[in-house]
Amino acid sequence: MSPWVLRGLRDGVVTTRWPARPDPYADSWRGPATILRPRPDDAAGLASLCPTGAIGVGSGQDLVLDQGRCVLCGRCVGRRPDVFGWSRGTASAALSRAGLVVPEAAQTEQNLVALRAALAARTSALRRSVHLRHVDAGSDGAEEQEIAALLNPVYDIHRLGIFLTASPRHADVLLVTGAGAHGMAEPLRRSYEGMPDPKIVIAVGTDAVSGGMLGGIPGHSDPEATRTRQQRAADDEAPDSAPDSPGLAAGSYATSGGVGAVVPVDVWVPGSPPPPFAILHALLLGLGRLPDPRESAGERR
Amino acid sequence: MTPAGGALATSVASLRDLVVQDIAAGRRFAGLMGTQLTDALVLSVHLAGRGGVATREVALPADVTSYPALTPALGAAFWYERELHDLFGIVPLGHPRLEPLILPRSGQHDPLPRPGRPAATPAAIWPDEHSVPRQVLGPGLFTIPHGPVRSGVMESIEYLVETPGEDIPHLNMRVFYKHRGIEKRFEQFAAGDGVLLAERTEGVASVAHALAYCHAVEQIAGVTAVPWRAALVRVLHAELERLAAHLDVAARLADAAGLAVATARFGVHKERVARLVSRMCGSRFGRGVVIPGGVSGMPLVSAGDFLTEIGRMERAVSADARVLMGTASFLDRLRGTGPLRAERAREHGALGPVGKASGFSDDARLARPYDAYPGLGLGDPHEHRAGDALARLRLRWDEVRQSFHLLRQAADELDDAPDSPLMVPCEVGSGRAAGWAEAPQGEVLYDVRTQDGHVVRCRPRSPSFHNLVLFHEVFAGDILTDFPFIEASFGLSVAGVAL
Amino acid sequence: MTASSAAFAAGLTAFVLAGLVDLVAGARRDTARAVPYLIGSAGAACLAVAGAGAVAGHPARLPVAGWLGTGTAALAADRLSGLFLAISFGAASAVSLAFASWAARPGAVGRRGLGASYALTLGAVAVFLTAQDAFTLLLAWELLTIAFYLLAGFERGRPGRPGGALITLAFGKISGAALLLALLLLAVRSGSLDLASFARVPPGTARAAAQALLIAGFAVKVGLVPFQVWLPRGYAAAPGPARAIMGGVAVNVGFYGLWRALALLGPPPAWLTGTLLVLAGLTALLGIAHAAVQPRLQRVIAYSSVENSGLILAGYGVALVGAATHDDRLLAVGLLAGTLQIIAHAAAKSLLFTASAVITCGPAGGPRGTEDDNLDLLRGSARHRPWSGTGLAIGSLTLAGLPVTVGFVSEWFLLEALLQQFRVPELGYRLLLAIAGAAVALTAGFAGVTFVRLTGLVVLGPRPADSAGPPSGRGWDGGWLGRAGIVILSACCLATAALLPLLIRVLAAGLSPVVAASAVNGARQTPWVLGPVFSGFSVLSPSWLWIVMPLLALVVLAFTRLVAGPRMTQVRRVPAWRSATAGVEGADSYTATGFANPTRRVLAAVLHTRAEVRVLTPAGEHGEPAGAPGSAPAQTPVPGPRLGYSSDVIEIVEAYVYRPALRPVLALVRTAKRLQSGRLDAYLAYMLIALVALLALVTALA
Repeated sequence: MSPWVLRGLRDGVVTTRWPARPDPYADSWRGPATILRPRPDDAAGLASLCPTGAIGVGSGQDLVLDQGRCVLCGRCVGRRPDVFGWSRGTASAALSRAGLVVPEAAQTEQNLVALRAALAARTSALRRSVHLRHVDAGSDGAEEQEIAALLNPVYDIHRLGIFLTASPRHADVLLVTGAGAHGMAEPLRRSYEGMPDPKIVIAVGTDAVSGGMLGGIPGHSDPEATRTRQQRAADDEAPDSAPDSPGLAAGSYATSGGVGAVVPVDVWVPGSPPPPFAILHALLLGLGRLPDPRESAGERR
Repeated sequence: MTPAGGALATSVASLRDLVVQDIAAGRRFAGLMGTQLTDALVLSVHLAGRGGVATREVALPADVTSYPALTPALGAAFWYERELHDLFGIVPLGHPRLEPLILPRSGQHDPLPRPGRPAATPAAIWPDEHSVPRQVLGPGLFTIPHGPVRSGVMESIEYLVETPGEDIPHLNMRVFYKHRGIEKRFEQFAAGDGVLLAERTEGVASVAHALAYCHAVEQIAGVTAVPWRAALVRVLHAELERLAAHLDVAARLADAAGLAVATARFGVHKERVARLVSRMCGSRFGRGVVIPGGVSGMPLVSAGDFLTEIGRMERAVSADARVLMGTASFLDRLRGTGPLRAERAREHGALGPVGKASGFSDDARLARPYDAYPGLGLGDPHEHRAGDALARLRLRWDEVRQSFHLLRQAADELDDAPDSPLMVPCEVGSGRAAGWAEAPQGEVLYDVRTQDGHVVRCRPRSPSFHNLVLFHEVFAGDILTDFPFIEASFGLSVAGVAL
Repeated sequence: MTASSAAFAAGLTAFVLAGLVDLVAGARRDTARAVPYLIGSAGAACLAVAGAGAVAGHPARLPVAGWLGTGTAALAADRLSGLFLAISFGAASAVSLAFASWAARPGAVGRRGLGASYALTLGAVAVFLTAQDAFTLLLAWELLTIAFYLLAGFERGRPGRPGGALITLAFGKISGAALLLALLLLAVRSGSLDLASFARVPPGTARAAAQALLIAGFAVKVGLVPFQVWLPRGYAAAPGPARAIMGGVAVNVGFYGLWRALALLGPPPAWLTGTLLVLAGLTALLGIAHAAVQPRLQRVIAYSSVENSGLILAGYGVALVGAATHDDRLLAVGLLAGTLQIIAHAAAKSLLFTASAVITCGPAGGPRGTEDDNLDLLRGSARHRPWSGTGLAIGSLTLAGLPVTVGFVSEWFLLEALLQQFRVPELGYRLLLAIAGAAVALTAGFAGVTFVRLTGLVVLGPRPADSAGPPSGRGWDGGWLGRAGIVILSACCLATAALLPLLIRVLAAGLSPVVAASAVNGARQTPWVLGPVFSGFSVLSPSWLWIVMPLLALVVLAFTRLVAGPRMTQVRRVPAWRSATAGVEGADSYTATGFANPTRRVLAAVLHTRAEVRVLTPAGEHGEPAGAPGSAPAQTPVPGPRLGYSSDVIEIVEAYVYRPALRPVLALVRTAKRLQSGRLDAYLAYMLIALVALLALVTALA
């Protein structure tokens, strides 16, 4: 008998029951930074704390923090623990780019409901046979490790009827990582166009959401320049054009500042990199398969 | 650390001669980079030796657009000069194959402008995807493009397998797909924030990149040593990173051989390492721990818990490794696959496991020790000479054993060490220094130049970049189905290649 | 004169007429060039009918010499001759239609003589199959050799042709010499030239030697190892459908000779049977090994002829073992398998050569000279030629032995026949049969690889993007006559399988001069179900397969339609997924050479594969590096050292048997050349010396 048979039985069942049962590792996860006190006295000066320009001041003199730009460096939490803190758990994904901004703007709630309905209508046919295709559009290689980890026995996405496939021709979900390197723009587009409908695109990681460290010049986001990008993404049937949605960060000579500039993104997962549970959460969110309706709305803060 | 002294040569030819002499004297070619100053483009050759990295340089005046290539005399500079050409538009005359490597520019702009060229970096450069021509001619020959979007969860790279079917007489690569402009991006950060980008340069070697960057910055700031406890924490994270990377290689090799249980087992082990790291610092990749001057905090796991976990992990990993190395069907696929000759490894200065498995070892932890390594027992380096995929895996198991040993030592030391600050102030002014660290894939080298606390030039050189070029040469006699084994046995990350 | 005889006479007359028309009318007008082949087709049809008649029990007889008043020589077709007449000329008739169409293309044939050679071939085949005495037999054989030489050398100006013709002639002469010796030996012993009288030759060395020589002589024609080297070159040298006449029609005379030799002389000595079995297995394996890796289409088809000879002779070997052990049923199962394989081969080989002749024609049936049969260039070339493409596919499937074709049934019978080795009492025979069986089984596997390559790349493969072929629309597809020929041959490949129970009865009658019809008829276990003569061993019903397989396909289709609804026909056509690459320079998908390369490696021991990578000298052909800034004045175009890859296989028999043997012969020839001084007195002196020596010899012996 092959020794591997015995080795395979070695540790018993290591597979998580999440999402059917809570998982302590998932629940205690330290997610992107969040705002504890929206109106500190020195709100305007706090923007410079963030090396990726995630912190800003919103319309009502409130602090806003764009988790889609947060690389979890902890600068803000470390300096001003009274104002900033860590979000807990792995439910960090959102169905719209604007949904990643805390505190959440009121009118996006309406949008979210509509978004969820539209997405559910698209993905209802997929049920328990969902095939993923991953495309690296200029990641640092960490997101790939975390996506690959979904296949290990601890997460074992096969138990949820989710599988990786080699060709986008067979794929329902496109997982895109990386800051949107220009070299990958065409290959990414080819992959997206190679997929049959219905399809979902998930931007995995802060890099994919906003470019992260490769996004816009720190502290100098340019909403005017990015509005058009957002618009362009909206044309590709992503109903996501809330007027106050944070602009996608401008890229550099080699990157687009997120993959939203290339393909229409349905689910946005921040994290640098997001842990496997966060990616799994985003998958189930996109597929409308989260058991808790509160979570599936992307409300977590 | 020895300062990266820029010994200035008078001409490229004399630089070449000096470098060739240095290498003959036992130094290792560790990289070639360009830096644009106001009036000149400086070419710097890094030479690693015992105790430190020396730099030899030559300044090319503003009006110079080409120089005699170093590659004919210095084969290891092959990719470096192509990269110089891609980024600065400067032409190494007599280079054997000056095809685009990390950025095939379709336009006129150089991303890193040199004097006498348009000063500003263009807003966007769209690479020309068709750039790499075919190398092998012959009846019935064809090219199988593997990538850029590959099956499995892989980083984007395109291997052009030029084959008559089955055999692989030549392998070509398009590595530019995920070029991210990292070098240029560094210039937008303060020296303290640059470490965040360094951590995100190559995800699987986040800690090593952070270390190398911080070593350079600390040297500029005049910090000679970080506090002992910080040095120990750095070692802990660096070795855990090595464990994770080597387990990943084992899982990939097992996967290539279709050993489902082995793949799953090593996957689980790797997940345990990642979880341990995340319990220690909040990030599964040890990000945010290493900062210039020390570390951001103590591990959030008690020494006792840590040692228990490490002990459990070591028993499980070594038991599985033993079974794996006794699985004949697996070993048959690795033995003799992807061989790298010892003299080629030496000539090229192959880094990390790739070099070590071919009998060429230049481990920065031993040769140019840093942080807590001088105070910890690394044990004797292991001799491997076969140079095939099997030797690379055997070497990795040796390193895994060594890492467990180091982890226990460091944790014990950390437990015993008296309470003291975890960092020293690191006031970075202007200066220039090289920093290094031994990543799981080999030595990471940073050449950092700062001005008034800001990074003005930073060139990370990952071991993946230095080693991947050897891919051209290791397919002799191997066939298409050997490809995944050879790729996995190199264990490289594309992110580190196309920065 | 019976109807059979009349049809027989008409056929022969047609061939004479066809030859004369070609010689007289020549090649001037396109349509006129088709006439000889049309006449030949009619003649072949007559002969096929005469053969069928003979099988049915109406022997044909032409007292040719009686008419000429020179003796008793006659041409006559008994049941065995009739069977081979029907097989050969059935195929010939269909091939001739395509030949006519092929020859009528504008500028297809430059000069007269091809039609005459063709007619001569068919005539020689007919005479050989019906010869009743040794002299006629030899005459027909020599005529066939000459005809082959003329066909192979017809396009003398093209590369490879003169060599092919010469080697064809040389091996023809060797086989002629072997037959001559064998027949002389037999005639001397029996005291008559009449073939039937040879049966009376007493067993002994002379009879065994004669049998060995006969088998060797016929083996040359069918390409048994080590005589197979001429066959691919000779076949490939012949123009267009003439290959089908050589490889699909005329080759059957070799098999007929073997069958007839068994009928007349009974089983050969054990060593000969053993050698034949081993050589048959080896031939099959070597043939298919080369067929799998050859870069040229005609070579692939020709080497598959070598393979099929091996298969057929393996069946023949089983029959010989049966005859030697007086096991009539083993004799029957071997002969049945061999004959079925002959039928499958005749139909499929004619079809393949005909279809490939059409496919390798230039677009719109352009003139000759555009034929290039390199498989790498032919990828997808059958896409615009649905008729010949389908023909090529059906022929390939038949020779690959896939179900619903007759090739499947014949290969099944052959393997079943070889599996009967446990019934043979002698251990030696059992071992030899096992060896041959293993070789045949391996061959069957590689046959699949070989013909997948043809079908997959030439017929189904996509046209390479940079191909020079017709951009759209159709290439020349054989004309309506050619299509008719292809359809008839395709139908033969398919329908014979469906009608196999019927065919078994025909074969039983045809083989009755060799083995009792009742033994062969044992293969029909029930009217629908066949088995290898021995009952209860295994069964197969090709007729049911014909009914069930299409039905299954229909059921699946209907089910899909039911489940998918109208969506079934809504197809989104997208290019194949190529890992998002922007494309590569040069070929980017499997080439024919590439597809064959694994085989080349696996069979390296048989093929002596040699592969090498060498550095080409920089030729400055790909200019300056792409993406270089145009403004850099000191730009140096540095072409990289491109590599060259080549891999080659070796015909081991040729390399290790003939070439070393040929060297001293050539040296001898060179020495002998010195005698040729060109002076008349020297030649007279040679003659005088020779005469004196002869006289001395005669005197001494007397």
